[in-house]
Amino acid sequence: MTKSRRADAPLTRAEFLSAEGVLVVTRPTPPAAPPTPGQPIAVSGNPAEGDEILLAVWDDGSASALHGHVDLGTGIQTALMQIVAEELDLGMPCIRVMLGDTARAPNQGGTIASASIQIHAQPLRLAAAQARAWLLERAAEWLGAPPASLEVRHGNVRVIDDASRQLTYAQLVAGQRTVLQLAPDTALKNPADYRVVGTRQPRVDIPAKLAGELVFVHDMRVPGMLHGRVVRPPYAGADHGDFIGNTLESIDESSIAHIPGVRAVVVLRDFVGIVAEREEHAEQAMRELRVRWKAWPGMPDLSNVAQALRDNPSTQRLLIDDGDVDGAIARAAQPMRRTYVWPYQMHASIGPSCALADWQPDATDGFALRVWTGSQSPHVLRADLAKLMDLQDVQVDVIRMEAAGCYGRNGADDVAADAALLARAAGAPVRVQLTREQEHAWEPKGAAQLMDVNGGLDAEGGIAAYDFETSYPSNGAPTLALLLTRAVEPVAQAYEMGDRTARPPYTVDNLRVKVNDMAPIVRASWLRGVSALPSSFAHESYIDELATAAGVDPVQFRLRHLHDERAAELVQATAQKAGWRMRTGPQEYADGGLGKGGDILFGQGFAYARYVHSKWPGYGAAWAAWVADVEVNRKTGEVHVRRVVVGHDAGMMVNPAGVEHQIHGNVIQTTSRALMEEVRFAPQQAGGAPAGEMVVGQPQSGVVANREWGGYPIINFRQVPVIEVMHMPRQGEVPLGAGESSSVPGTAAIANAIFDATGVRFREPPFTPEVVLAALNPLPAPAGGDADADADADAPRRVALPIAQPSRVPANAPWPKRKGAWATVSALLIGGIGVLAGVLGWRSTIAPVSLTAPVYSATTVERGRVLAAMGDCAVCHTAEGGQANAGGRAMDTPFGTIYTTNLTPDPETGLGRWSFSAFQRAMREGVSRDGHHLYPAFPYTAFAKTSDDDLQALYAYFMAMPPVQSATPKSDLKFPFGVRPLMAGWNALFHDPAPYVPVATQSAEWNRGAYLVNGLGHCGACHTPRNALGAEQGGSAFLSGAMVDGWEAPALTGLSKAAVPWTADALYGYLRHGHAPSNGTAGGPMADVVRELQQVPDEDIRAMSTYLASFNPAVPDPPALAAQAVQSAAANKGRLLGAPQRLFDNACAACHHDGDGPTLLGVNTPLALNSNLTSDRPDNLLRTILDGVREPATKDIGFMPAFGDALDDAQIVELAGYMRARFAPQAAPWPTLAKDVARLRADRAANALNR
Amino acid sequence: MPELSLTVNARAVVVDATREATLLHVLRNELGLNGPKYGCGLGQCGACTVWVDGVAARSCVIPAHGAAGRKITTLEGLGTRAAWHPVQAAFEEAQAAQCGYCLNGMVMQAAALLAREPHPSEERIRAELSGNLCRCGTHVEIVRAVQLAASRLAADA
Repeated sequence: MTKSRRADAPLTRAEFLSAEGVLVVTRPTPPAAPPTPGQPIAVSGNPAEGDEILLAVWDDGSASALHGHVDLGTGIQTALMQIVAEELDLGMPCIRVMLGDTARAPNQGGTIASASIQIHAQPLRLAAAQARAWLLERAAEWLGAPPASLEVRHGNVRVIDDASRQLTYAQLVAGQRTVLQLAPDTALKNPADYRVVGTRQPRVDIPAKLAGELVFVHDMRVPGMLHGRVVRPPYAGADHGDFIGNTLESIDESSIAHIPGVRAVVVLRDFVGIVAEREEHAEQAMRELRVRWKAWPGMPDLSNVAQALRDNPSTQRLLIDDGDVDGAIARAAQPMRRTYVWPYQMHASIGPSCALADWQPDATDGFALRVWTGSQSPHVLRADLAKLMDLQDVQVDVIRMEAAGCYGRNGADDVAADAALLARAAGAPVRVQLTREQEHAWEPKGAAQLMDVNGGLDAEGGIAAYDFETSYPSNGAPTLALLLTRAVEPVAQAYEMGDRTARPPYTVDNLRVKVNDMAPIVRASWLRGVSALPSSFAHESYIDELATAAGVDPVQFRLRHLHDERAAELVQATAQKAGWRMRTGPQEYADGGLGKGGDILFGQGFAYARYVHSKWPGYGAAWAAWVADVEVNRKTGEVHVRRVVVGHDAGMMVNPAGVEHQIHGNVIQTTSRALMEEVRFAPQQAGGAPAGEMVVGQPQSGVVANREWGGYPIINFRQVPVIEVMHMPRQGEVPLGAGESSSVPGTAAIANAIFDATGVRFREPPFTPEVVLAALNPLPAPAGGDADADADADAPRRVALPIAQPSRVPANAPWPKRKGAWATVSALLIGGIGVLAGVLGWRSTIAPVSLTAPVYSATTVERGRVLAAMGDCAVCHTAEGGQANAGGRAMDTPFGTIYTTNLTPDPETGLGRWSFSAFQRAMREGVSRDGHHLYPAFPYTAFAKTSDDDLQALYAYFMAMPPVQSATPKSDLKFPFGVRPLMAGWNALFHDPAPYVPVATQSAEWNRGAYLVNGLGHCGACHTPRNALGAEQGGSAFLSGAMVDGWEAPALTGLSKAAVPWTADALYGYLRHGHAPSNGTAGGPMADVVRELQQVPDEDIRAMSTYLASFNPAVPDPPALAAQAVQSAAANKGRLLGAPQRLFDNACAACHHDGDGPTLLGVNTPLALNSNLTSDRPDNLLRTILDGVREPATKDIGFMPAFGDALDDAQIVELAGYMRARFAPQAAPWPTLAKDVARLRADRAANALNR
Repeated sequence: MPELSLTVNARAVVVDATREATLLHVLRNELGLNGPKYGCGLGQCGACTVWVDGVAARSCVIPAHGAAGRKITTLEGLGTRAAWHPVQAAFEEAQAAQCGYCLNGMVMQAAALLAREPHPSEERIRAELSGNLCRCGTHVEIVRAVQLAASRLAADA
């Protein structure tokens, strides 16, 4: 690592200007730019801060270089370092680049328009050259040699002919202070002499990032820092309308009173935030704070973006009107009117925005507020913060740190303002991290756009006219806290931003270009290729359509009308490099090299654009041309971009490696945007959004609905094309912006390639499989096509490969013995007496005992501990967060709520006064020591089977536990179940208190298993359905599955719906390790059971498995059957494409795949084998999706996140429906998924309230 | 607050960890590590990837206490500037970062792959990284870095 240098130290302009031993180059603070109507706000510099610093050369040989833009991941830090190194003739390692910080960097506006190098590097370059000239002159004076006789290398000036006479920059600046005002006429180095600029340089920021050093704002920590979270209002995506800042009704702070360390709850109109000492508690408080909102009108209907844009009021600006457009269209030989539509898209930063703020109103350095931020416009943010906090801008210090790439403006400014408000309220530094859901929902979106093109071909096949009209809803996006607190009025404001690259690049005599400036519909901000990328999509699709109509090769057609020489050279060179196949219409390659009847259609598409940006008519950044090769699967509609060849002319490339990486990034991101990206909005609700608390899972009317990567997928490694970059050799030209240019023609190239492959024209991205398939369908069979191959080309559908149907219970299944008829009759008699006695209140109390010392051997106690684990005693007898076995857990039964009792030997509230006889009677007969009847939720009906010897050991174990005082809450049962004495009759009918009697014809192992399963293991308590009176049913209903505590306990017998019937080995694996390779994973309450069973010896687990397996059919080859089920599901994969599939692939498939994905912690049993997917009920699947797996049965299993807060109900319905169709193709769809999700959500909400 | 014992980057540590804390919270806030990043909290993006007992894991979805007694390795424990892990060295050489926010996950996932499978095909590399999202579009350089690391490891073996 570099040692501390003087170049790293200064934090403010004043520190530069007051330092000694330095040469500083400054420029006067530029005057405020005249206000430009319709353009985004530019913040003028503040003269009170003094001149702006551009460069400082220090007496330790280091140099500071300052630039007002920030590095958004594009590598400008490295490129600027090269520029300074070049002009100053100093080694790159000696230079420190300082970007963006308001207190020291010059104000050069937001990092936008790919202008950091092309435009804004110029002052720094001049400053470096000016400093070099000054140093050279001083050296000449000191060395007594004319400047022409000197040379400079690496900060060392020497006489060319006498190497002994030299001086370093450090020596030249030592002991003095010189401040130079930037001289704009300074001579710059001749590019022919460049040694550093134009060479491939490694990025200087990468090592620190690879080492996990402090680089990102997310990692900034200061002493005493607290953690903040915000609670956003319901209207995600809105930025205007009087409801903004007026919708909060009330908050209930008591709802988070139980959360420790909450330091502040901040409410300022619709701004709500929480500060806590620990991050996890801030998150918990964010989720649990109860907030009521008033009704609000809801967002406009965006189900049809084109219509919404047509309906949005606008002002038309006529940019170009050349020739006679209307006349030419009227006379056109082939008139052609087309409409192209662009969707709302996201910036989709990988790191949700984060900021840290410190509020020090009395700070001696004059900064009342210091904010560490990833903003791309620090000076604009400073002005926003000053307004929000009622400060002068010079009282705000905005320190820019790196953040996740934003490609435009994401939530960075929003969260900085949030942090400022929370820090002020908490009186301490507060770090605020937006959640993934908040970033997705609230980041200002890349705007939608509507492009109408009218025109056509003249009789000669040329372009008769080109009448272009674009509608762009604006993208001002005021910083959110300003709106929510009403520091600014939430009025819709139209900017003139829709005109980027509005002019087509082709020469047309009759040309008209109109821009409809309009207010935003959804909160939006610039996104890579702002308005230019959609406009170029229209231009480059339309030119392709004209070429096809003219019967001319699309590249040749372009060249006929492209009169910019540099552009024409680029187009030709790119086509040649890519192996462009001349054509006069779509090639519709049916075979694609795969042989006749293949499903893959190959296509190649071309597009070209020069990104022209900034205020109309703007100026051009780099030129770019694409050739895209695509594969379209005509049966599924899938489009794969196989290869992209990009020709690029950025003029001089400061760092060719950096430019190349930017091109790769642009190609990949644009491919993603073209194929899959589109913001979805929640359905409209009649009458707008209702008042009340926000209901989890139900986004309000018209708001942004995708809030994680499943709902808004972006490209992944599997889908990335091969990219070939061809740089035009232009090192002698001026450098041009390369951060966005190569994205601009991309979507049209892909659309043109799809047209080439299919003959179908797509004018509205994203080109998802369902969109493509719908347009292709029905596609006529290619001539000479193979009839079989085409037989199912018509539609994707569920196909179930033959797999084993749910197996039947073996005929010889050894059902456990139930009471015989005589036994029942006699029991009824006895029971009748019991009832009578019960009604009379007669049941003996067993005298309390007083135990003074343990009377059992350690061996017995240990045996009892294992038996208790077998009986899962602690699972039910431990309240959530309570002491083990101290009772108090609520058990919801169909008959009401009961609470489990305290099993510890506490004399008052536990078993402390129980004799063994009392314990034995409770376990066998369900009667408490004092004579009152217990309910069979306590499974004495099973425990009765336990031998006296085992009961003794159990008793010994409980008595040896440390006593815990914990009274059992009173049960709450419906009549007549609340009348405990009636249980006597129930017992007479349904209970057999006799211990287990081995079956002579079965093995010892089987008998041991039966003893455990039906005794202490009490498997039937959950897995056997009960009759109307709550008794387990017999016969083949034994272990045939039941619902318990909201979970399905599936059938353990041949009635199981598992894809592969249970075998003894599978059962063993499942009970021992919590999972079985062919049957899935223990979840829900079963996870608790498996966890307890960890204490039980192997032979007992084996015995239970052997016993349970005897109720299942023999499977000759379970792995083969499993493989068949997996294969059957896999065959479905390509047939179920669409939003639900993307949701699954991007939310679930990293962990749940068939071996063809990442290896991650935890087991990955193929979902086709998971009985939750094959069950008749979706409950277990839905509960797992909603709540995840926090406490897996064993550490093998791994963890699963809860998706309940991130996915809405509609998405969960889609997801579960998709999973069923894909992984259980043999089963019918679940019929009532929407209701089931709603029901489980309601359960979940109720549980959350009870907690 | 319950104590949690872990081994982090080969050092035994005992920290206070609440029931609500994730492993990511503990690594970042109790132990001051920067490598693992918060990206989604849903195990979808991979930015938070660490190794748990040598296996790549999404630390944002692991309750801290679920990692009790286990060996955690983060980016910081993989290698340092003075002694890069071969995968880190290859990422530097291939310049496999733009903004670099996803870098931690890419390195940790790739290093776990190579530890298990020293000679993966390009298809296998892409599949292994398919659950790690990159928005900048650095995929080409990342795949190249993993291939480079694999070839280096093969040469050293």
